[in-house]
Amino acid sequence: MNVTTSDIILFAHASFGVLGTILAVWVFVETLNAREQNAQRIRRAALSVTLCMGAAWIFGGYWYLHFYPAERRMILAGPWPLAHSLFMETKEHLFLTLLILSLYLPIAAADKLYVNAAARRMVLFVAMLIAPLGLVVEASGAIIEHGVKVALLRSVARTPVNGGIGK
Amino acid sequence: MRADASKLSRSSAGFAIAAALAVLFNTGLAWVKDADRPLLNLMNDVARDSWITQGLADVVLFFGFGLLFSKLSWTERVTPNWLIGFLTAAVIVSGVGLFLWDALF
Repeated sequence: MNVTTSDIILFAHASFGVLGTILAVWVFVETLNAREQNAQRIRRAALSVTLCMGAAWIFGGYWYLHFYPAERRMILAGPWPLAHSLFMETKEHLFLTLLILSLYLPIAAADKLYVNAAARRMVLFVAMLIAPLGLVVEASGAIIEHGVKVALLRSVARTPVNGGIGK
Repeated sequence: MRADASKLSRSSAGFAIAAALAVLFNTGLAWVKDADRPLLNLMNDVARDSWITQGLADVVLFFGFGLLFSKLSWTERVTPNWLIGFLTAAVIVSGVGLFLWDALF
């Protein structure tokens, strides 16, 4: 098994995205039961969402610049060009919306949620927006990788029999 | 503490407006740079790739507007429900708008 830098960066990008999404769900659940005792935990969880999404942005950005161009060529030449032209194009900009919400979450969570219903509602809404957006972005990533996979499968299927899958 | 019970702090309200505006700016910029080649080239030149430039612009705008609105007294008069509605609407416009733009153009 040969694990490359590209693989590590890509998996770090996706993993931090998933972790940030799960943490947003955690913030949502904790905020539903906001008390003075869990106020600090909510703030830490909200800040963790920011850090995870920030890390996903940095890893994703590095990978996008250094390793994605080859995959993009492959996808566009393959049977699922929409994996790039629709899903990657949407994902890369939708992720920035997700990042903005993640930057805002700890600011909203800094209020005293256990006495402030308005602040609690705001944190619930922001966490509720982050979680499904995170899932959409992750799903788009899966579709993009599937675009690469079907392009590779097609190129393998087109190679001569003695050099193809059945060798 | 009871006096605060029904409204957001000034920084939370200010940054909520900033977040909504940054989300809308992000969506608009994605559309405009797609349609305007010179702008796309300029953004590619600024930070190697237009996406990096756009991300940095979003973050700067969010913190810039957030700090500005946090200092203004009118943010306290904006109701929390209006802020939540504005932010949610901005995110929905962003999601649907980006998807439709890339699907249709």
